[in-house]
Amino acid sequence: MSEINHKRAKSRSREVVISVRNLSKGFEQQIVFDKLNLDVFRGEVLGIVGGSGTGKSVLMRCITGLLSYERGTIEIFGKDVEALNQRERIAMDTRLGVLFQDGALFGALTVLQNIQVPMREHLDMPKSMMDELALIKLKMVGLPANAAYKFPSELSGGMRKRAGLARALALDPEIVFLDEPTSGLDPIGAAAFDRLIWQLQSTLGLTVYMVTHDLDSLFSICDRVAVLADWKIVRTGLPEELREMPNHPWVERYFGGPRAMARTFG
Amino acid sequence: MTIIEGALEGFSHCEDHRVGFHVEHESNIFRLRITGEWTIREVAQLQREIDAILMPSTLFSDHVGEIELGGLSKLDVAGAWLINSTRKKWSKRGLKTRFAGAGSEHHILIDEVRRSDKAGQPQQRQKSPFQRSLDDALKGIGGIGSDAMMILGFLGTIAATFTHSLVHPKRFRWVAFVHQLEHVGFRAIGIVSLICFLIGAVILQQGVVQLSYYGAEPLAVNMLAVLSLREVGVLLTAIIVAGRSGSAFTAEIGSMKMREEIDAMRIIGLDPIEVLVLPRVLALVVMVPLLAFWGDLMCMLGGAMMASFYLGLDWSGYVDNLHASVTMNHFLAGMIKAPFVALIIGIVGCMEGFKVEGSAESLGYHVTVAVVKAIFLVIIVDAVFAMFLASIGF
Repeated sequence: MSEINHKRAKSRSREVVISVRNLSKGFEQQIVFDKLNLDVFRGEVLGIVGGSGTGKSVLMRCITGLLSYERGTIEIFGKDVEALNQRERIAMDTRLGVLFQDGALFGALTVLQNIQVPMREHLDMPKSMMDELALIKLKMVGLPANAAYKFPSELSGGMRKRAGLARALALDPEIVFLDEPTSGLDPIGAAAFDRLIWQLQSTLGLTVYMVTHDLDSLFSICDRVAVLADWKIVRTGLPEELREMPNHPWVERYFGGPRAMARTFG
Repeated sequence: MTIIEGALEGFSHCEDHRVGFHVEHESNIFRLRITGEWTIREVAQLQREIDAILMPSTLFSDHVGEIELGGLSKLDVAGAWLINSTRKKWSKRGLKTRFAGAGSEHHILIDEVRRSDKAGQPQQRQKSPFQRSLDDALKGIGGIGSDAMMILGFLGTIAATFTHSLVHPKRFRWVAFVHQLEHVGFRAIGIVSLICFLIGAVILQQGVVQLSYYGAEPLAVNMLAVLSLREVGVLLTAIIVAGRSGSAFTAEIGSMKMREEIDAMRIIGLDPIEVLVLPRVLALVVMVPLLAFWGDLMCMLGGAMMASFYLGLDWSGYVDNLHASVTMNHFLAGMIKAPFVALIIGIVGCMEGFKVEGSAESLGYHVTVAVVKAIFLVIIVDAVFAMFLASIGF
């Protein structure tokens, strides 16, 4: 239980970096969110879970500004994202990093150039400095140095994800959004990626917002889990807490299912 | 004790801890005192300032360097990299340098940067631009032969698949075929009509102007009729179809290849040639002659408009002129080329699609190549036919 207490202490009384209030959104005739509320605290690893089609990715895209929403407010670092003008929006974006599902690397650029794209765009830096910084990022995410001049099509799926993470970290962001970071990786690769996220989080003091399906990721690195069901966040809490007291049919099925059981007791 | 100040200007947002550093020289310690937020936004400026510090060369023999980190309020990877590379630079110049006063969270970061710094530099595989263009040229020349072989091979595969579906007509994709008929044929009528009509009009007008020097303006109708039936109708149609449908074939098949749909088909037991290529190529072989025929008509219609304008020739007079000058041979000489041209466009378009690899850039490249190659080959075939037909007196 000491681990739980430790995690709980970590999440108490901290600065809220993302705050979503009464968010409502729909696609044509389909409701996606109805008065959704969510807080993300500085320095935590938050896991977002939910069934397929409950809008996990849509919520991430709303927060990062890739999708618009109908009602409600989203505040990042205490600023309403809809009230920002374009310059403030860009300044805000440089404090966020996003890892898309398959890395979303630019196919025409090498891995090193991919990592340098945000630096080139937002900062005035000599080329040699960008090279060195990009190489450090590359090594931090555990890619071999000879991957630097390869093109994304020459990399494996796991390496593409790592390269995508390096690009997300290029500007030393404060919040990193990860969209299913371990999907498509083998268990060893997935565990290594979990460890990497945890390590980076503790080294860089990142806030990590992670959309995931992976029970192992949830239990091993997430400080807090938020469950998306019925168009809102129905439960938040430590993964262990949610397993002990689901209080919601979907949460019960999720943490009480054969896979979760196998993970805990197997 | 000497103090050299190196604080940055223009960072008024953090007055408490100004971003920057002081350099102190105290007994035998040369100290860099770091203050404020060292983040990626400031490192470029900070590096310039640090590089500008002048160090007396007498310093090195008996002095030690110290980088004092106690005043740091915020540090990120870029800042840690700069601090570490400064230490390395000083040590390299003979000043043994150590860190002092770092908080634990800053230490983790600096250690991390030091670790990844040790991992070594990658080898860059880069050629000089000259070498690259020479390689490209050689590859291009060598590519002509292998391309010819590939086209022949592809033609053979299509022929084999076609014979196979003649024996088993149930295996032929009728729905896809009809769909392609509509896309490559029916929907091209508008653009083919427009372009052929305009070119026909232009040819007649130019003919009238040039022939007027010899007083032979009425012969312009003759010239237009023969030219459009033998060459212009089919050639224009081929170029339009290559641009419209050849590129579409490459893009469709190429994006399927990129998303591994072609591999999935093979695994499931579908033959991509049978499913994708045959309906497309056959649709072209059926539709291009029809479009070329339509193009011929439109050319002559454009001519009719210009004839009434420049020659004062009414419709019946124009048709009489056509009757006098056009024989069946002219018409057939144009039409016989159409199916061959269609085959070339279809084969090149589909073949380039199969050559697409992972990236979006590769897709764009192959679409371009497909159109350029198809038009080039169409003109070659046209020239071969022209010479052949002339030599047999057709």
